[in-house]
Amino acid sequence: MIAGAIIATYALLAPLTSLDAVQSAGVPLLADKLWFRIATYIAMFMVMATAWNIIGGITGYAAFGNVAFFGIGAYTTGMLVAKAKWPFLAALPLAPVVASAFAALIGLPLLRLRGHYFAVASLGVGVAVGELVQNIDYAGQPLFGGASGLFLPILSIDNRGLFFFYLMLAAAAIAIAVTWWVLRSRFGYGLIAIRENEEAASVIGVNTTAYKVGAFALAAALTGLAGGIFSQWNVFINQDNAFPIEYNVQMILMALIGGTGTVFGPAAGAVLLQLLIQFLGGSLPISFDIPFVSTDARPIVAQVILGVLLVVVVIFMPRGVIDFFGGRSRLSLSYLRRSLRETSL
Amino acid sequence: MTVRKLALLAVAVVAAFACGTASSGPTTGSTITLGAPLGLTGSLTKESILTQQGYNLWQDWINARGGILVGGVKHPVVIKYYDDTSSANQSAVLMQKLITEDKAQFLLGPYGSAATATDAAIAEQNQIPMVEANGAAQSIFNQGYKYTFGVLSPANKYLQGVIDMAATLNPKPTTVFMLSADDNFSLEVANAIVTYAPTKGMTVFPVKKYKNGATNLSAEVQAAKAANADIVLNSGHLQEAIAINKAAKEQKLNAKIFAYSVGPSTPDFIAALGKDADYVYDGSQWTPQVKYTPAFYLTVAQYVAAYKAKYPGLGDPDYHVAESTAACLALQRAIENAGSLDAKKVRDALAALDVTVFFGQIKFDTRGINIYKPMVVEQIQSGVHHTVFPSNIADAQPMYPTPNWDQR
Repeated sequence: MIAGAIIATYALLAPLTSLDAVQSAGVPLLADKLWFRIATYIAMFMVMATAWNIIGGITGYAAFGNVAFFGIGAYTTGMLVAKAKWPFLAALPLAPVVASAFAALIGLPLLRLRGHYFAVASLGVGVAVGELVQNIDYAGQPLFGGASGLFLPILSIDNRGLFFFYLMLAAAAIAIAVTWWVLRSRFGYGLIAIRENEEAASVIGVNTTAYKVGAFALAAALTGLAGGIFSQWNVFINQDNAFPIEYNVQMILMALIGGTGTVFGPAAGAVLLQLLIQFLGGSLPISFDIPFVSTDARPIVAQVILGVLLVVVVIFMPRGVIDFFGGRSRLSLSYLRRSLRETSL
Repeated sequence: MTVRKLALLAVAVVAAFACGTASSGPTTGSTITLGAPLGLTGSLTKESILTQQGYNLWQDWINARGGILVGGVKHPVVIKYYDDTSSANQSAVLMQKLITEDKAQFLLGPYGSAATATDAAIAEQNQIPMVEANGAAQSIFNQGYKYTFGVLSPANKYLQGVIDMAATLNPKPTTVFMLSADDNFSLEVANAIVTYAPTKGMTVFPVKKYKNGATNLSAEVQAAKAANADIVLNSGHLQEAIAINKAAKEQKLNAKIFAYSVGPSTPDFIAALGKDADYVYDGSQWTPQVKYTPAFYLTVAQYVAAYKAKYPGLGDPDYHVAESTAACLALQRAIENAGSLDAKKVRDALAALDVTVFFGQIKFDTRGINIYKPMVVEQIQSGVHHTVFPSNIADAQPMYPTPNWDQR
């Protein structure tokens, strides 16, 4: 919530950066392209974690390959801008469309699987799509830029950093609004019924296939939107940065830390975890030494910390940090003991 | 006793310091901050450390001379590094951090074509010149960027030297079989050969692609054997080059020339293959045997000696080290020529730069890549690297043709 407040304040104050006066005054957060870049990453993960929550948290299907939709969105916009010379804002709306169409297509066979089988199959899709995009040739030429990737022209507008930050933040707001709507709709109740007991849901008349595919496609559309913005923001996309395997884990971890199944939980988790990742990666301007850890070992320690965090959160805080906000629960020893009982087999 | 020694030492240090300051003519100006994100951990650690060694060698040298001379004032240099964990996305964030937080006035490149592509966009948007030495993919330079300069020969040149050399040999080889890994750099190398070899009167079979990082390449080598080509080329990396050479021996693939883009120049290649590494050629950006007459900085021999003194036990400097030092030299000379620390003026000076150093000629085409320095062809002869082409800088003749496997 504190981090959310920082982001909100920042979003409100950010327009002032266009004023030369503020820039020359050197107000730290406002005159700084680095902060824009990090804040845009945070907003990007807010979108991805919130979108994952729809299929993973609300519907209960552990999708491990959502990065495929991010990459498809990035490549859809990238191809239209770089090859077909479309203006960026015209190309962007097609990113969620193509991503969700793809999700609906693979969702039909994939969502027949459950539990571990679905998780493994979705992970496979995430990897396979990236490989396909890199290796498909047409008439001897790589169709999607191949291993060289795609270069988009740098958008010639003032305050580029600000523009992309707002765009990504708008995408995050859309993702949160969609989640809010889902949780209050007949569609959402159907998804929750599927999560709790799929057979029972089917018996009471929920068209489980249509609902599951719908949730998957919705998550894909939002993730694809983030990918579409990313491609123009980053200017260069290739298999490595449009289909990074680690994003799969990070978006899930963010949703878990924040609180799965909730409206704001995944976004809060994204803020917390992305700040932590950037801090451990040494890119935050406020950096201090971690005791007993040399700077060389920091990236390795960062991975260890993230792994330990995942375990601790899953065992002790199954409802995420969002559970402590708004006076629902208080972090206490009895809370942790109760959680441990719940999560133990 | 120890106290006296210590006192003597102190006197000596003070004296040395006094001499140093007394003899320096120009006044000392502000420190110039350069920035470079490098993959000091992660998959590109080895090459990134070589890059850092190259940068540091120059930093020591220039600061021992008081710094870069700009309008009669010497500016000492500090290079600020960050670890991007071999991730291109992280490299871009850190590049931005170097510019905004650390106030880096000029940038040195990261390692690898992917990170260089991402960072080039950052340099362009911030209008800060970046001189890079480790991103050879030409796609980076085809975007119309004005602030990125690469001192190394682009990917398409990597194996062209081998074709040029082959054209001078007798009997002249006429057919080429090209194997390639499927990453951007390797494919650029391979595609360049497909268009270049016919201009030298050679026919090229269709490129045989394999997955980047593949360890079993017997099927690909079998295809090469079936083609029975005079020249077998591979565009890939160290591990794949070793795998191909092993498979070639097992399957008795005999060619007049075996040449691999990356791999044979490293000591690991000879260590892994022993005598079977003999006769193999490679395209190299630079070798310790090249003969260039430098306009400034060290000669080739002095450079090799300086490297061995600073990094003992590592053998001769590899070309990654040399090209990284060359990037610093290009930047230094451009700042001196500009007579200013203004980013725009230094960019213009880089665009106009034409200087020869121990690494070869540094001059950029309109895209910002150095197409003027030739690639060097090396051959392993009796377990030792020899430079065999171009002949004016070679230290040995090519051993040609390669004998059949059962006659070695």
